[in-house]
Amino acid sequence: MAASAKQERSRLGRNEAIWGYLFIAAPLIGFLIFAAGPLIISLFLSFTNYDLFTSPRWAGLDNWQQALSLTFAEVPQRLDEETGERIFRCGRTDVPASQVPELEGTYDERLRQEITCSPLYGRPRESLPSGYSPWFEFMIGERSFVVGATDPILWQGMFNTVFLMLGIPISLAISLGLAMALNQGIYFTNFFRLIYYMPTILPIAATALIWLWIFNPDFGLLNYALGTRINWLQNADMVKPSLIIMGIWGGLGYQMLIYLAGLQGVPRQLYEAAEIDGANTWQKFRFVTWPSLTPTTFFLLITSMIGGFQNFVQPFIMTQGGPGRASTTVVMSIYDNAFRDLQMGYASTQAWLLGAIIMLITVINFSLARRWVFYETDTAS
Amino acid sequence: MATNAPSTAVTSAQTHPRFGRRQQTWTRKGIAYGVLIIGAITMLLPFFWMLSTSLKPERGVFTMPPQWIPDPLIFDHYIEVWNRTDMVRGLFNSAFIALLTTFGEIFASTMAGFAFARMRFPGRNRFFALLLITMMIPGVVTMIPSFIFFRLLGWIDTWLPLIVPLMFGTAFAVFLSRQFFATLPRELEDAAKVDGANYLQMYFLIFLPLAKPIIATLFVLGFIARWNDFLGPLIYLRSAENFTIPLMLAQLNSAYATRWPLLMAGSVIALLPIIIIFVLLQRYFVESVAITGIKG
Repeated sequence: MAASAKQERSRLGRNEAIWGYLFIAAPLIGFLIFAAGPLIISLFLSFTNYDLFTSPRWAGLDNWQQALSLTFAEVPQRLDEETGERIFRCGRTDVPASQVPELEGTYDERLRQEITCSPLYGRPRESLPSGYSPWFEFMIGERSFVVGATDPILWQGMFNTVFLMLGIPISLAISLGLAMALNQGIYFTNFFRLIYYMPTILPIAATALIWLWIFNPDFGLLNYALGTRINWLQNADMVKPSLIIMGIWGGLGYQMLIYLAGLQGVPRQLYEAAEIDGANTWQKFRFVTWPSLTPTTFFLLITSMIGGFQNFVQPFIMTQGGPGRASTTVVMSIYDNAFRDLQMGYASTQAWLLGAIIMLITVINFSLARRWVFYETDTAS
Repeated sequence: MATNAPSTAVTSAQTHPRFGRRQQTWTRKGIAYGVLIIGAITMLLPFFWMLSTSLKPERGVFTMPPQWIPDPLIFDHYIEVWNRTDMVRGLFNSAFIALLTTFGEIFASTMAGFAFARMRFPGRNRFFALLLITMMIPGVVTMIPSFIFFRLLGWIDTWLPLIVPLMFGTAFAVFLSRQFFATLPRELEDAAKVDGANYLQMYFLIFLPLAKPIIATLFVLGFIARWNDFLGPLIYLRSAENFTIPLMLAQLNSAYATRWPLLMAGSVIALLPIIIIFVLLQRYFVESVAITGIKG
């Protein structure tokens, strides 16, 4: 009797297990075909050269070396074109080696200052093979050297991508302010929420068109409102701030809603306790609101950074990475390598590199979080 | 800093004894309204500018200061976009792809979420952890092998690469629906088992009808993500008749680069459906944000 009950239970258990596997089958198969499989294949491709038409050729570490290595070069000293003498710069004038004043420093009446002479070097940019861009220069004795990334487009893209993420803290600060304003027990809360949130759900392809027109240097809204004539998107210094401005407009509402939910979760007693202690508005924010919101901030920071590293659509439509390479991002570099130049192997290398960087930054974020994120269970200790 | 803060607070309270509580609330509210209204105008201005530009004659946009209310008000650009481009087709394509993939995603994901939350089978937690890892893989890393794979299948310039992967569900949706099903009371299964229902019946007749809130959330999130997707269609679609709305707009931009009224009319047409859906389903949008934020 007992044995058959046990059998019956195990039969039921097997039945449940079979149904369970059937229920989760689709996402698991999807996981294998569309996530795990591609992940491994892309790692494999990163060690090959593959142009889609001939089969992949093993390339060892070539791609990784191309992506990660630096190139060194010595910058030659400038020589006089006729005599071949080395040229020195003394004060504001260039003189050949033979005419350099004997003294270490001479007093120049015209400049009214002590002048010294130092050897003059060529342009660092010209010393590197073409396409390589200089990172920094250094001197060893009298010799000058320059270091550049072997793949300047990738690293310029990395720099731009990180630069564009400067918008994240600004956006978080603004959205926190707005959420706090919304949390004051105000009329039309729903209406405000709707308006701020709307841009975040719209296709960037469409909002990018609107902002292209707003940024128009001659007839755009922004220059009109500011009374300026700034060439927002065609100026290498302005293009990144411009993209950041649009990015803040387009992402603010989501962060604001999350902050608002966070604010509504702050226990009322904490404020009452703070008021009894005589805390002013700033102190209430600093010692009650902000600590309670650190988990929310952390969540927003992590998700925005992961998204920020994969920035693509906005610069792709608005600037095509220009002017020059001033707004090229890493994903644009990957896209160009893969689908314009058909270098699937090298593009996979860049993609894996980016994935690894995202992972690394996320891990670092989580380990730093212990220092500044408060969870409610921590407050007792 | 932290230690002497309370004492300074006491002194500041003493120096302003007449600064009443009610007055303080009113100034606070006043500032809040001010900030929110200025912010709201800033948020809306681009939309108004788009609308205004789209209704102006071609030369009307090149005036300074700009005309806010177009005079004359013309609809020519809408007609031109409608007739000369495949915008209508793009709307249809986008709607078809977004609806199909979102329903497929919800169907496959909620079922798996149910199994992970309510059923017992060996390896359950390990499989779930495996799926969670998927959520952390950046899309760019899998983009290239996926492209190669779909190219081998001959699916380039079809909608299949955009549709098929989602039919298997997404890790994110599985995760959200698992969290939802885990909150339902235990008695539901017991009652169903007593009635002799099998797991399919239990799921479709009892649990799925209860899952409306999470389905609404998944629908809103999924639909928006698919409608707005740019990189996927950009990689896979080649011929204009297959384009989705975001691609259509990018194409419009390169074809009519300086005809701003036309471009803005195109943007209005592209944005209108999504804005209407947003206003109608705003409650679910707001709730979806709260739900996705909670896991943080």
